Amino acid sequence: MNRALRAAVIAGAITAAGCLAWAAWPPTSQFAPILTSMLVIGLSFIIAGLAAWQRWPSSRLGLLFTIVGYLYLVPYALVNLANPAAFTFGNLSQGFYGAALAQLGLAWPSGRLRSRFECGVVIAEYVSAAVFGLAGMMFWNPTFDGCPASCQNLLLVHSSRPVWDALNTASGLVGLVLTGIVLTLIIRHWRSAQGWSRRAMVPLVWISCAVGAEQILTGGAFNLQLSSLVSFGLAPLVLLTGPALFVASTIRARTARGAVGAAVVDLEPGAPPTRLRDTLARALGDSTLQLAFRLPDGAGYLDTTGQVVDPARPGPGRAVTPVTEASGAVLVHDGGLEQEPQLIRLTAAAASMALEHTRLQAEVLAQLEQVRASRARLVEAGDAERRRLERDLHDGAQQRLVTLSLALGMARDRAAEADPELGSLIESASKEAREALTELRELARGIHPAVLTETGLTGAIQALVERSPVATTITAVPHERYPAAIEATAYFVVSEALANVAKHAKADGAQVMIRKFPGRLLVEVSDDGTGGARSEGGSGLRGLADRVASVGGVLRVDSPPGGGTRLEADIPCP
Amino acid sequence: MQSSAAILIVDDHDGFRAFARSMLEADGFTVTEAATGAEATEAARIVRPGLVLLDIQLPDFDGFEVARRLAGQAGGPVIVLTSTREASDYRGRITSSPAAGFLPKDQLSGAALRRFLGRDPTGEGRT
Repeated sequence: MNRALRAAVIAGAITAAGCLAWAAWPPTSQFAPILTSMLVIGLSFIIAGLAAWQRWPSSRLGLLFTIVGYLYLVPYALVNLANPAAFTFGNLSQGFYGAALAQLGLAWPSGRLRSRFECGVVIAEYVSAAVFGLAGMMFWNPTFDGCPASCQNLLLVHSSRPVWDALNTASGLVGLVLTGIVLTLIIRHWRSAQGWSRRAMVPLVWISCAVGAEQILTGGAFNLQLSSLVSFGLAPLVLLTGPALFVASTIRARTARGAVGAAVVDLEPGAPPTRLRDTLARALGDSTLQLAFRLPDGAGYLDTTGQVVDPARPGPGRAVTPVTEASGAVLVHDGGLEQEPQLIRLTAAAASMALEHTRLQAEVLAQLEQVRASRARLVEAGDAERRRLERDLHDGAQQRLVTLSLALGMARDRAAEADPELGSLIESASKEAREALTELRELARGIHPAVLTETGLTGAIQALVERSPVATTITAVPHERYPAAIEATAYFVVSEALANVAKHAKADGAQVMIRKFPGRLLVEVSDDGTGGARSEGGSGLRGLADRVASVGGVLRVDSPPGGGTRLEADIPCP
Repeated sequence: MQSSAAILIVDDHDGFRAFARSMLEADGFTVTEAATGAEATEAARIVRPGLVLLDIQLPDFDGFEVARRLAGQAGGPVIVLTSTREASDYRGRITSSPAAGFLPKDQLSGAALRRFLGRDPTGEGRT
């Protein structure tokens, strides 16, 4: 709404109000409340109109509010001027504001009338106000209502009280019928609305009923003998609900904005689209909200309940807002929300943010899974390589050394009979060969413990315990075999733990316990030494924690200084 | 009728087999060779040795499996398991197998084998 127009409206309002106030000054006690009431109602409609025009520039609602305000204020202002023409015209046009109110009620919330029938009803209202106004002026003598003789009705044809009363009654009855039709139409609008629009219509229904009642009661239909104070002063205050409706609608939109923002902040990360849709629908106040996603093969859109959605044809009374171009998601919502573009934009932005968050999280999880799998494969490859090395050593060099050792032994036995010196020479050679074999065996065991492959954890842990310099007891060891990676991990946990006990703990004794629970293998090594072991630092526990993590397990170190050490590996195991 | 002086050597390492054969033949045994578990069961059926020197690491079957098959034959031979590795690498599997015992390869001698046979002159394969 441009500034010039706004200035003109405000200037007009001030003029009309000033006119009215000045013409009725000094206000007698009889007229003061009526005057105040008129000024308040008229000005509040004009102000609401200006605000509505600002808020919905493309809608006619602002204009309608303003027109109602003027149609209320100007006739009464004219009536109180001393000019007979103004007096006549003012009295003639007193009924038009009712028609404008009807149009406002029917056009809510979009500002447009919905059918030709409604257009017809509104036209009928205006026509009825014009016809009865004109006809009444032809028979109304101002003295009927106690106006002083200075008031002149220029349209007076024949001063007749009964005709005028009859016209008033007729006008009241026509008004009753028309008001009834308007109220019925408004209630039908309400009933056919859904989601956001429905809740927006509820206050209008109450207001229209109240305003309709007021119009009927103060119109001539029932010939109630109301004092002018009531019919011109107090009763019309009901009309203030009109501007109040506008205020309520503004507040509702603001509240919804706040709610949408808060809802998205509270939404937990990675929430599924169904939860996102429900949260947004609740915050927005539109239960018909749909969140739809484009199918990967471009075959259309599917919403969170699995319904097919066509963004090009959302259906009657519905509108589509894209969430973001890239994500291929759209919001399908009640058409009434198009009145609140800021709210819809906020909702789309919030949905976009939440979806992006979910997508990123899923991406990160997928990457994490890839990294985990890759790490496990690396460790497995390393273990397989070592097993192969040990096997090659066994099949190759160890076999030859064994045969060599045997041959030297035989040669020594034969030589010793003939030549003792030769015999002892061969004996020393044989000793070297035996020692080479022992060292090679140790080397092979360091590369990969054959006892683990052959006997599983029972034999391997026993072997470790036997070789441990600290007195170690085996509390429990399962006899079953497990996948190679898990057996290797359990073995290395015990091996590393016992090595640490021997090196750092200064302990008297240690215990090894391995127990199988449903879905997991628990490996525990505890000692009664000095404690104080940490996962970081060079104690090798870091590498061990990595190895345990590579099979999806967790390594826990419980080592209070001076209180012994307890190492626990929790390994998932089928 | 089993000949207690007949020995079946089962080992996939040709060098060791050849050497063991010459050593044991020099010590008065009759030696038959087999390189795989399948050959071993076949040879045992034909030759009916008194003792089988059985390498645990065989290409086709696990030595323990071969031992079970050989022991299943009526009046089975004395089975002595052997390996380049030590007994402690096999532990309970040796004691729970039908073999009479374990002899590391580098301690092989005719006398050692006679001790196994002496412990069980009936050839029933159990001490």
